Amino acid sequence: MTAETIIQSLASGLLMGLLYGLIAVGLALIFGLMDVVNFAHGEFLMIAMYATFFLFAFFAIDPLLAAPLVAAALFVFGALVYLCVVRFAVRAKANAGMVQIFSTFGLAIVMRGLAQFFFTPDYRSITHSWLGGKTFSIAGIYLPVPQLAGALVSIAAFTALYFFINRTDFGRALEATREDAGAVALVGIDKNRVFALGWGLGAALVGLAGAIMAMFFYVYPDVGASFALIAYVTVALGGFGSVFGAFAGGIVVGLVEAGTTLILPPSLKSVGIYAVYLLVVFIRPRGLFGSL
Amino acid sequence: MDTAFNQRRRRDLIVAACFAVIAALVPLFVKDVYVQNIMVLTLMYAALSQSWNILSGYCGQISLGHALYFGLGAYTTALLFTKFGVLPWFGMLGGGLISAVIAMVLGYPCFRLRGHYFVIATIVIAEIALLLFQNWDWAGAALGIDIPVRGDSWLKFQFTRSKLPYFYFALGLACVAWLVTWWLEDSKWGYWWRAVKDNPDAAESLGVVVFNSKMGAAAVSAFLTAVGGAFYAQFVSYIDPESVMGFQFSLLMALPAVLGGIGTLWGPVLGAVILIPLTELTRSFIGGSGRGVDLIVYGTLIVLISLARPEGLVGLFSPRRKEPAR
Amino acid sequence: MSITRRNVLLGASAVAALAPIAARAETSEVAIGVIYPFSGASAQIGVDAQKAFETAAEIINNKYDFDLPLARTEGLPGLGGAKVKLVFADHQADPQKGRAEAERLITQDKVCAIVGTYQSAVAVTVSQICERYQIPFISADNSSPSLHRRGLKFYFRAAPHDEMFSAAMFDFFDAMKKKGTKIETLALFHEDTIFGTDSSNAQLKLAADRGYKVVADIKYRANSPSLTAEVQQIKAANADVLMPSSYTTDAILLVKTMAELGYKPKNIVAQDAGFAEKATYDAVGDKLEGVISRGSFSLDLAQKRPMVGLINEMYRAKSGKDFNDYSSRQFMGLIVMADAINRAKSTDGDKIREALVATDMPGEQTIMPWRRVKFDEMGQNNFADPVLLQYSAKTFVTIFPEQAAVSEAIWPMNS
Repeated sequence: MTAETIIQSLASGLLMGLLYGLIAVGLALIFGLMDVVNFAHGEFLMIAMYATFFLFAFFAIDPLLAAPLVAAALFVFGALVYLCVVRFAVRAKANAGMVQIFSTFGLAIVMRGLAQFFFTPDYRSITHSWLGGKTFSIAGIYLPVPQLAGALVSIAAFTALYFFINRTDFGRALEATREDAGAVALVGIDKNRVFALGWGLGAALVGLAGAIMAMFFYVYPDVGASFALIAYVTVALGGFGSVFGAFAGGIVVGLVEAGTTLILPPSLKSVGIYAVYLLVVFIRPRGLFGSL
Repeated sequence: MDTAFNQRRRRDLIVAACFAVIAALVPLFVKDVYVQNIMVLTLMYAALSQSWNILSGYCGQISLGHALYFGLGAYTTALLFTKFGVLPWFGMLGGGLISAVIAMVLGYPCFRLRGHYFVIATIVIAEIALLLFQNWDWAGAALGIDIPVRGDSWLKFQFTRSKLPYFYFALGLACVAWLVTWWLEDSKWGYWWRAVKDNPDAAESLGVVVFNSKMGAAAVSAFLTAVGGAFYAQFVSYIDPESVMGFQFSLLMALPAVLGGIGTLWGPVLGAVILIPLTELTRSFIGGSGRGVDLIVYGTLIVLISLARPEGLVGLFSPRRKEPAR
Repeated sequence: MSITRRNVLLGASAVAALAPIAARAETSEVAIGVIYPFSGASAQIGVDAQKAFETAAEIINNKYDFDLPLARTEGLPGLGGAKVKLVFADHQADPQKGRAEAERLITQDKVCAIVGTYQSAVAVTVSQICERYQIPFISADNSSPSLHRRGLKFYFRAAPHDEMFSAAMFDFFDAMKKKGTKIETLALFHEDTIFGTDSSNAQLKLAADRGYKVVADIKYRANSPSLTAEVQQIKAANADVLMPSSYTTDAILLVKTMAELGYKPKNIVAQDAGFAEKATYDAVGDKLEGVISRGSFSLDLAQKRPMVGLINEMYRAKSGKDFNDYSSRQFMGLIVMADAINRAKSTDGDKIREALVATDMPGEQTIMPWRRVKFDEMGQNNFADPVLLQYSAKTFVTIFPEQAAVSEAIWPMNS
């Protein structure tokens, strides 16, 4: 094994990790806001990738330009999912935790079915986009441009989110609702509105991730399944309730995944991620940066 | 405990006995193997979900990794039989014991985790096991294990066409799982679990004993799940890592209990009776279209039931039965 | 309700009156079960397969001027012109469900034969059930070699299995070496399910037997979110030939990742699957110029056998796709089965089995480059010669074996 292989592995792992972070941050945000894990998160990603694909196929809109459109569409979708499904799930008096797991899980199955119904189960790819297929090479290390763009978008999104949560009224409302939903009602904040916007924002971030992913990944109704578990592990590793945790979690997952393949056969690379997760939570039961 | 509670328990036992007898008579009238197959699966899932319910429902430790124990049971039986000629009955017992021990070894660090950290830990542990089996050449790796079936034999627990032996075994397993749950409800473990649920502060004072009772629940739950896995290996006579250890399986085990009523005696049974025929029939009669209509129907039902009946469908039958769940 | 003498009599006479009609109804349609994944990750395969089977049924049930068994007649003449009726069932890639569906088709829909299944794991259980009910099963497109070695009497496979496919690849390497081309090192790249495992086992064995050096043997997790690390390893190995065994999703990602990491393999000789699917070439076809894939079908056979082109047109009208390695094998699976039922002149499982055992179909009467269809004692057709196809200028051309080849191989692929 040469130094070049190791550097290349780690560089690719870092890029992939930033993308994992971007995919997972929506999940982290929603969880942090209202203690709900969205088991349809992978399917949100799938919808975003399809949206990007169809914008490209029918209107020749490049994924890079489509990203804000997809994010906006997913914002609406996320808010609707909250208002139509999740709102009722959190209201459940008995077994609230179970109800939200299984209502979002049921939603995931419905979304897969609908995708298969409307889009057929065929595999689709965006064949030529501005960045797709381009690659950057420095001293024998190759950095694919779409993933590089994804990494930059990820960093930008996390930075924006940080300022948004800490410096804007809405962000403070989110934070306050998270801490005490009952008390905020007294000061005139509508809890449902805040939650709906939170879900919208979470979904919009997945939308961004989906648009980037569509540049270099195939799309089909079950594509979300490949990323969902990684997203959950990323969020939990970073620590529930911490948006920054998702960022750190993503990087750790990406690097560990790449690192594992240097030691173990590649078919076992996920074992590395899972083992690190277990190791971390056994030592720190709240994840790396978790507050819950 | 008050007498109303004891009366209810006695009534539950009688009702269960009646159901078991009626169920045992059904195959006399239903000869169609396809329908019998659905009945076997329904009973198997009722048993699995009941076992899952002990740990996740009563004890409150939500596991989405029970496919691990199911797979261990299936693999132990199949490997012992095909490699060493050990009869499946011993394999079943062995698989159950191995699973129970592993459940306790894993439970020791995992029970310190709370909420979603615990759930995700159970998922990734099962995934690790899946990947290891997928790469373990001696155990057949991805090729799985094909259990040769040579005629009908109770000794080898294999039958070419008849579903009845499998049916009665599954019925027996469901009854055992139900009885264990029934017994646990009134045991001191059941009492502690209820106390902890009603009053989290009680958990502090009961700390150590509750921790031990959770270990016990994990062992019992894993043992029964593994016996279910061993049964599945004999019933299907072929296993591979994806089909016995996949994440989907963990969800399928939990689903009947969740829909029927988590942490209740009748929830898993009721959930399985509704859910399993539904999934089988939707796949058989509308799944051939290739358009995912079966998924849409199935998913919509899960969403609707879990939203409309958060306490589970048992609530429809007897509102009083809710009380032990809380 | 009490059973009176009158009721019994009524019932008996009703049965008597209905009997001839029932008998006729039975022979006017012959039900054949078709078990595929119609939902889940590989649903597209089932959707395409359905069209292939429907094309075959259309040819059997109507008159066409093709030199293909049963084409020139309407229905099955051996059963008084009975039409073939297909009953589709969804196994969702789950062996347990496949087995339940097989049982349902046999007992409820009274199918007299079953064709399937794409996933080899499902073929294991479906063929077990068929054996138990003594219903013949044709494994149309499963390529796992272990399937026919289980001593099943009702299992038949007209198409080649992975060892035959891989042997063809090594025959090709040997032939190239004889011509003075340097082929010494191989890199295997295969997924971790039954298909990839079987394929790589066969390839490792052949490489050892014939003196090729395997410089990388990468087993990866199917449907991985990224293959970067895996591709780095094959890039570092830089073998003379890269031999992937991947389904569509991974094939697309593999090709994209190789381009991203600046790795241009000298040659790719693929074990079909993803490398036979239109979706792969739609996505990354520009990077696959010169790729070689094994196959059991080639459209350029239409030059020699015009019916191949015409049947392909029929399939394309239904599916919007050309026949590929899978759909052509599925098509032939039904033709071979229907031919046997016709010769058996019966829907009885044992008689159909005997007819299958006696099958001897000349290669010219198929749409495949096979020598003939004739099963050995294990139910495998050893005359199904695989071909190697090279993708160039957006089509596949046959390059091996010589008697089937229409052009020379472009080697290395980028030259």
